[in-house]
Parts: sequence; structure tokens; C-alpha cells
Amino acid sequence: MLRYIAQRTIEGLVVLWLISFASYLLLGLMPGDPVDLMISGNPELTTEDAQRLRAAYGLDRPLVERYFAWLDKALEGDFGYSRHFAKPAAAVLGEAIWVTLSVALPALLAALAIAVPLGLWAAERPGRWLDQSLNLGALVSLSLPTFWLAIMLIYLFAVLLRWLPAGGMGEGFGGRIEHLVLPVGVLTFSIAGVFLRFMRASASEALNQDYVRTARAKGVGRVRVMLRHVLPNAALPLITLVGLQLGAIFSGTLIVEILFRQLGMGRVLYDAILGNDYNLALIGLMLTTAATLLGNLLADLCHAWLDPRITLR
Amino acid sequence: MPQAGGAAKLAAMRTFLLAMALACIALSPAARAERLSIGVSQYAASLNPLLEASVAQSYVLGMTLRPMTMYDADWNLICGVCLRVPTFENGLAERQELDDGSVGAAVTYELNPDLAWDDGTPVTAQDFKLAWEIGRDPAVGSVSGEGYRRVLEVTVVDDHTVTFLSDRVTFNYNASGIIPMPEHVEGPLYRADPATYKTRTRYDAAPNTPGLAFGPYRIAEARAGSEVVLERNPHWSGKAPAFDQIKTITVPNTAALEANLLSGSIDMIAGELGTRVAPALAFQRRHGEDYNVIFRESLAYEHIDLDLTKPVMQDVRLRRALLYAVDRQAIVDRLFEDKQPVAISNVSPLASYATTDLPHYPYDPEKAAALLEEAGWTLDGRFRKNAAGDQLILTIGTTAGDRTRELVQQVLQSQWRQVGIEVRIQNAPARVFFGQQLNERRYGDMAMFAWFAAPGSVPRTTLRSSEIPTEENGWAGQNYSAYSNPEMDRLLDEIETTLDVDARDILWAELQQLYMTDLPVLPLYWRATAFILPKWLGNVQPTGNLSPTTYWIEDWTVDR
Amino acid sequence: MPGSTLASPSAEARGRLRRILRQPLAAASLAFLALLALAVLAAPWLSEQQGIDPSAVDLFNAMAPPSAQHWLGTDELGRDLFYRLLLGGRASLAVGLAAALGAAAIGTLIGLLAGERGGWLDALLMRGTDAMIALPLLPILIVLSAIDLTKLGIPPSAAQSESTALIRLIVLVALVGWTTTARLVRAATRETLAQDYVLAARAMGAGPARILLRHVLPNILAPLMVATTLSVGQVILFESVLSFLGLGLDPGTASWGRMLAGAQDLLWEAPALALYPGLAIAATVIACNLAGDGLAAAFDPRRVARGS
Repeated sequence: MLRYIAQRTIEGLVVLWLISFASYLLLGLMPGDPVDLMISGNPELTTEDAQRLRAAYGLDRPLVERYFAWLDKALEGDFGYSRHFAKPAAAVLGEAIWVTLSVALPALLAALAIAVPLGLWAAERPGRWLDQSLNLGALVSLSLPTFWLAIMLIYLFAVLLRWLPAGGMGEGFGGRIEHLVLPVGVLTFSIAGVFLRFMRASASEALNQDYVRTARAKGVGRVRVMLRHVLPNAALPLITLVGLQLGAIFSGTLIVEILFRQLGMGRVLYDAILGNDYNLALIGLMLTTAATLLGNLLADLCHAWLDPRITLR
Repeated sequence: MPQAGGAAKLAAMRTFLLAMALACIALSPAARAERLSIGVSQYAASLNPLLEASVAQSYVLGMTLRPMTMYDADWNLICGVCLRVPTFENGLAERQELDDGSVGAAVTYELNPDLAWDDGTPVTAQDFKLAWEIGRDPAVGSVSGEGYRRVLEVTVVDDHTVTFLSDRVTFNYNASGIIPMPEHVEGPLYRADPATYKTRTRYDAAPNTPGLAFGPYRIAEARAGSEVVLERNPHWSGKAPAFDQIKTITVPNTAALEANLLSGSIDMIAGELGTRVAPALAFQRRHGEDYNVIFRESLAYEHIDLDLTKPVMQDVRLRRALLYAVDRQAIVDRLFEDKQPVAISNVSPLASYATTDLPHYPYDPEKAAALLEEAGWTLDGRFRKNAAGDQLILTIGTTAGDRTRELVQQVLQSQWRQVGIEVRIQNAPARVFFGQQLNERRYGDMAMFAWFAAPGSVPRTTLRSSEIPTEENGWAGQNYSAYSNPEMDRLLDEIETTLDVDARDILWAELQQLYMTDLPVLPLYWRATAFILPKWLGNVQPTGNLSPTTYWIEDWTVDR
Repeated sequence: MPGSTLASPSAEARGRLRRILRQPLAAASLAFLALLALAVLAAPWLSEQQGIDPSAVDLFNAMAPPSAQHWLGTDELGRDLFYRLLLGGRASLAVGLAAALGAAAIGTLIGLLAGERGGWLDALLMRGTDAMIALPLLPILIVLSAIDLTKLGIPPSAAQSESTALIRLIVLVALVGWTTTARLVRAATRETLAQDYVLAARAMGAGPARILLRHVLPNILAPLMVATTLSVGQVILFESVLSFLGLGLDPGTASWGRMLAGAQDLLWEAPALALYPGLAIAATVIACNLAGDGLAAAFDPRRVARGS
């Protein structure tokens, strides 16, 4: 087990390093440097200004040289300065992570809390009205573009009913909670559908297994069968899905963050990439990669723990 | 049993609501304290005026800092920090021969002695000297270093008098956008290590440090990318502003910005960087009863650069046909309800030197067709071909995601098709468009975007042949059309150094006529800014130029 | 031995079709998708019949209400909304289908390779898949949008055609969207390879290519089809999000995502502009999902038994 974790960690680090190089090249290949963007808005900026600025930001050196200079510093824990937020890049992301977690984690948990019991329930009554309407609800959830749902809910709850703030971070704990309701709600709704359909499918798969039939035949109670026999098996694929989604959720709350004014990972990364803020974009990409890898590893470990048939090599 | 449970739940709910209500009361602002929340669409990366020159930044800093001179709503040059505008006539400016024999201008500014930084330290000539030193230092990498380097010397005459010696005499010799830097706060930081100054400046590291503001407000808190909170500067001795606290809140999406306004999260939307004209018009139709929507023409010149290095584009008849074929008046009427006027040249109609004595290009598809025939593009079915049988296909690019430009683009495409010109749209994200396609002339045949310029500024960087970006000069320069005409070069040079107003007006008229004859660029319209303000807020005066309304924040009034 | 090897292929296909048609929702979804595809393909011909040019701007007839001439009214530039929708469906469906198929092809290849070879190649490919999942699309998209296609040897006429942005988007989504399929195929491959009959076939001297083609591929076809159907819907949604961010297709190409994102400014003035593309997206995505469910059930008879 420990050996397995160690091996996967080493593999993960290699992937991380490769991604750092790939991201650096990718960002470097993107046309235009920060100075070009400064010039574009200001017809009074001269050629000399541009050249001087490029030298000041080190943009006149070749890409690979810049990468190794970056790596050298990054290994010492210096991730550079974010030009776009005028702060050390690590500090910007340090704040953004918490914002993203405060939106994504409750949404993830809420989606699971909705999807797991309802999925089990629906699987037990296949084809009945409950199953059908849950399926319909799940389909609506995964067919609505998030941005559309978000705009609609803002208008409904903030403009028409005035129950909730339209966006922002909020002050104090109570304020923060109040400002989280809508973004978390939108995010929950948009991921719960996938989870629910997944859960229902794997639960009905499990219900059809021989050991469940045996248990039922032996007269074990319905709830007990569901909890003891169906749930552990049905949860396996869902865990993989959640593990896979961890990275996506980490960087993928962009739409919610833009519309609800949450300065989380998605917004910071997006702004960094569009504003050509190398340092910030790079460690942002690193972090999402690391989160994905970690999510996968955790999912695999969960699998092994829940399913004794799987041995980890 | 279920009923009892329900009652218990209700009771619990009531307790919770009560607690929430109490919390709300505790959080609600103290009585009589006036607050204003302003919605903006962008945020400033840096709050140091030397390290960034963006509208987002000048909007916020307009409340905490002021430049030496600025342009008012009528585009007159007025004082920001000085007491009177220096001129050759009032003796505060004089010509001075320089070491290399050329003539420069020594301009003396008397500083307002009442101005003080928010820690009580007076604003002095030393602060201007520091700003100049940092601004011109190549190690720092300030945004407009060349402007600072044109000032050869800054002389501190006394605490409240400073003289700038510039290396040339230009028509705007007495205008200076220089913003003082607090010598007692930033001076030691800068001198310790100029190269890393930009990462250590207090303006960004701790913007609420006392001593960084001398305007009516100081920054209380800045959350990069989202909010800036401003509070009164206790040492401001000018007119007291109406608000105890001002917040600028960044909402990057137009629909969300409107929702924030309607839900009361923000009180107003800034015109400088808020919503576009079309959504503002729609907003006005729905909520005109509850809000004041003010439109003001600006100096943003929406136009299409033509790549004159392309053989097709070198034929002026084709360029004229392109302009005759589009109904700019209809676009402006139908899409912007005439709030954004058609551009008849590259000079704003609001400028004193704008002339209407020009070649005009009203919508005339027949004339466009005739010009195309003359240029050898004959109609073959629905499309046009030349003698060699090549079809006339042009591409047009702009900033992807800019809703207004994309709509206009589709109208243009449709209207050009009417006269047989097939036009393909190829847009790119702003950073690609501005960062590479424009300067390297990779935008296809036509590029739609806007220039902003200060009142009276000479379009030297966009029209002079020496400013054409080439591979040799590292794609620097902003003459993206690659327009080259010695006559235009001469006019640009002369306008810059001619001080006599009447003589300048004549040169300006010649420039506009030449521009509209050669047509290196297709003028479209002058953009307007749209302010959405609450009914109770008064005296917000949009300038239409680069001076943000916040330069006059102390004049804003509250009436509710 | 799986029963499928005994039945004749055509009889089996007929059986599956019958099983799909026996599920009303799945059948309706397939019918809807087929009808939509037909309408979208026939759109240019239909609009010509009616004498309407859906790309012709008429500023003096913008946001007009439905009429005999314009069945759903006109958009903010006075273009016929009904035909814009059909045109938009062309782009959205083309992107969805092509990208989903491309991703399925890449994913199958990688999944088969990893599952069959195992060992270090498997580890390499799977970690590569992890990395791919983690890589955000945004920078890749921007880089791709900036590449000068003429420098890659593509003739200017092709590089400047209206569909360049469309093809770019398809290629991009296919290049990053294969990861789920790869994992799925790998798992199924490993499972199949461990079956007795495969071991027997191998013992009888069948080469890896033959085993993959004869035994593994037929077994993974079902989950593959389901996954691909589902991803068609996902890609259509993704296109709308990109349009919202301003990184979607060029404005010259109508697409549902672009229409929906563009309508947010005019939400209250002309709700129809948002309603119809929104409905089109939702209906298509739901239909894709239901069709996917139907396919899954048809390939797995046990589920139909349970479902009815």
C-alpha cells in the first residue's frame, strides 16, 4: 500500500514537472506579450518605451532560458510576482484557493448528499414516477448552460425577490454564507444531475448482483440491503467520477466566479491567461494539475479500501 | 406527532430568522453615513500611477491623487495641483536654448500650498521631482517613461514651486499629467533598489499606508481584482465630498453588472468602464423612471485599419467603394439610437479644429459599385472578379467577444455583400488581436478597433510613416495600416510644433482632408460613454476625454 | 462464451433496434435528433424556397415579432430567427458530432493500447490521461486561435474560409476530450482480456490485433456508443460556454451558443432571442442523453427487463 502511494506520488511529480514545462511553452507560444497589450490601449506609448518595458520584465530573453530561470526560483519556493494583481503570485493564489474551496466544496458535498440517496431510491423503484421525474430533473440539470442558470437565478433572487445578494464576497462569516447561497446553489445544481444519473445506474447494476438477491431472499430488510450491500458497490464508480472532477471543479467554477464576483481559482487563472501574467498562470496551472492527480490517487485508494477484490500494485 | 414536529421546526425557523434580522441590524450602516458603491467592469492591476496607465486605475486614483494639469468637461486645460496654468503670456513659461542648440520650454508651476498627504505631510515640489526620477528610470519600467524623459530637468525652486525643462516646444507645452509621489514614503523604497521597486511600492504592497493620497479620499482597503474601499482623507482641505465611504466594485459581466445595480449591491455604473451604449439604452427603456442614464460622446474613435501592404487595398477606389457601400448612419441610428455619431474624419467633431469641409462618403451603393467596376472588379453572378478571374474576398478581424463590434461587423459584412464584396470574419481574443495581429499586420485585410487620445493630441504614432511596425523595428509603432505619405508626415511634424492656434487649425484641416482623400483607414463612429446613476446623485459631469469623472468627486451631490 | 457470437449479425442488430424502439423516450429522442438533423441539413434549401436570406441584415426590421414571413420573428439585426436557429443548429451539431467522434476515436486507440499492452506503457498513457484532464482548455484555445494557418502550408483560401474557427474548435475538443473514453476503453479491454474465451483464443495462437478486433472491440462498442452520444451533448454545452466567454466561433457562423450568449443583453427586450436557442440546446442535450440511455439498454437486455 505505502509502496503504491509512493510510486503514484513519484509518477505524479513527474507529470507535474512535464506539465510545468508544457504550460510554460504554451503560455510562451501565446502571441503578444504584456507590453504589446499596454501599447494597444495607449497611442502615446513610443517604440522606446516598449523596448525598455520588455527588458524590464525580462521578456527579451529566449523562452527556454526563461523557463529554467523560473524553475530554479520555483524550486526555492519563489513563484514570482503577479503583474496582473501586483502581488506575489503565491499570495494571490493562496487567497483564491480558499474562495474556490468555499464555493466548490459545499457544492460537491451538497451534490453528493442529493445524488446518493436519491439515486439509490430511484434505482429501487425503476420506471416508477419517482424514477422518471428524478431522471428528468437530472437531465434538466445537465442540459442547462451554467451561465444561463446563474443569470436567471440572480435576477430571480437578487433583483425580483431581493432575498439574496447579487454577488460579492460578503463581510464576516454571516455575510459570507449569505453570499455563498446562490453560487453554491448553481454549482450544486449543475453537478448533481451527473452524479444522480451515475449513482442510479450503478445502484441498479448492484441491485441485480447475485449477493444482493441472496440477501433479499434471506429476508434482510430493504434499508439494510441498500446501505450494507448496494451502496458500497454503487459508490465505487461515483468515487472515480468525483476524483476525476476534483481538478475540473477546482478550475471549472469560472462561470460561477465571473457572474457572482468570486475571486477564486477560475477567475484568477482566466485573468492571468488573458492578461498574460506568466507567473500566476503557471502556478495556477500547476495547482489544478496537482489537484487532479491527487483526486485520482484518492479515488483509487478509496476503491481499494472499499473493494477488497482490488489489490494495489 | 408530525404536527408537533412541524411546530418545533417553525419555532426553530423563527429563532433563526430573528437571529438573521438582528445580525442584519448589527451590520447595517450607522445612521446618516453616506456611502456610494460604484460598479465598474475592470480592475486596476497596480494602484501605483507610474506603473500602470489604465482607465480602471485613473478612475480609482482620481479620488486619491490628481495630476499637475488636467482637461475639464469642456476640454480646457485646468490645474489639478498647480494654482494657475503656466503660459508664455503669463510669464510662467519661457523658451530656453538647450545645450545642443535646439529650443526647449521651461515651465514653472506654483503648487497649491493647501494640499497635504493623508498623514499630514504637505505636498511639495520634492514629490514631483521624485515622480519624475522614478518615471524616467529605465530600471523601474514605468509605463510612459518617454514622456518623463522628454523632461530634461526638474528644478525645485522652493517647496511650492517647481520648474520642468522639456526638450522641445510643443502646442501643449504647459500640459503635464505628472502625478506627485510621496517623497517621505516612496523615496527611500525607490532608492533602495530601483530594479525591484515595482514589487515593493507601498501603493501595491499596502495601499492603505498613510501618506499615499492627497485627494479628498484615501484607500482604506484594496482587494485586487474585486473591490477598492475609499474613505475620507482627514487632511483634505478642499471642498468636502458628500460621501464617507466609496467602494468601487468590479463586475466583469454586463448582465451581472445590471443585476447588481437593480438589486442594490451597487448604486451606479461608471461610464468610463461600465456598460456599453446598447445595453444602457435597453436599460434606459426599462428603468428610465428610476435611474438617470447619461450618454456622452467620447474621444474613442472606432475605425477600420486597412492593410495597405496588400495589393488589393492599395487601390484607393476600392477603399472608397468600401466606405460608400456601408450605411454608417443607419448603423448608428438603429444600433445606438444616434448616441454615437458617425465619424466623418479622424478628428472628433467636438474638437475646435474639426472641419466639415471634407470629402464625404454617404451611403451610396451605386457609387460603390461604379468605383469597383472602375477598379476592375466586375460583377460575376453575386460576386466580383478581376480580369485575372480572382474573386474579391476580404477578411475583417476585431476583438472576439466584444459584442458591439461583432454586431457592427455582421452589418458591414452583409452590406458589403450587397455590392458583391465577399467579406470573411476572423476575430481573435483581445490579447491575440492587439498583441500580435495588429502590429505584425496579420489581421487579414481589415481590422476594427478604437483609438483613445487626449484632446488635441497629434495622431503622429498612428499615421506617420516612421511609425510603421516592421520586422526590423521589432514590430513597434502603431501605424498598423502601413500608411506612408510624405505630405502627411510633414503635416504631423508641423502641427506638433506650431503654437499659433489659427495656423494650427489650418494645418489640422489639411490633415483631415488628406486623411479622407487617401482613406488609409475607414472611419466608423465616435464611441460614447454611458453613465447609469441613481436619481439622488447629482452633478456627475462626464468629460468624454481621458479625465475621469472622479477628478470632481467632491462636487457630486446627494439629494434624497 | 457470449451469446452474441452465435446469433447472425443482422438479426442481432434488428433485435437491438427493436429494443430501442420499445423504449418510448429513447425512440422519441432518436426521432427528434433525426428530424433535427434533417431540418438543419435542409435549412439552406428551405430558406431559399421561402425567399429568405438568413444572413441578410435588415436594421429597419430588427426584433420583429413572429409573422407569416418570419415564423419566429427576427433577431437584433433583423435576420430571420427561425432560419438562424436552423443555421445555428448546423454549427452546434457539427461541432458536437465531429468532436465527439474524434474524441472517441482517439480515446479508443489510447485505451486499447494501454489496456492491451499494460506495464509501463499503460502507466505512461494513464498518467498522460491524468495530465490531459488537468490541462485547462483556455490557453490551448487561445494559442490555437492565434496560429497562422497559412504558415502551416494551408492555402489562404482554406485558411480564410468561414469554417476555420469551426474546424479549429472541433480539433481542439477532440484533442482534449478523449480522456474519459480512454479510461473506459482501457478498463473494458482489461476486463475482456481476462475472460476465459479470450485466453482460449490466445492459446490457440490468435495475435493481439485479431483479439482486439474480434473479441475486445465488439465488447466495448456498447459503452463507447453511450459515451459518445453523451459527449455530443456536452460539446454543444461547451460551445455555449465558450461563446459566453467570447472565445467561441466567429460571428459569421451562427451557433446556438453564440445566439444564447448574445441574447443576455436583450433578456427583457426580446426574450425570444434567448428562449429559442436555450430550448434548442436543452432539448438536444436531453435527447442525446435519453438516446444514450436507450442505446445502453439495447446493448444490455437485462436493463430493459428491469426498466419496463
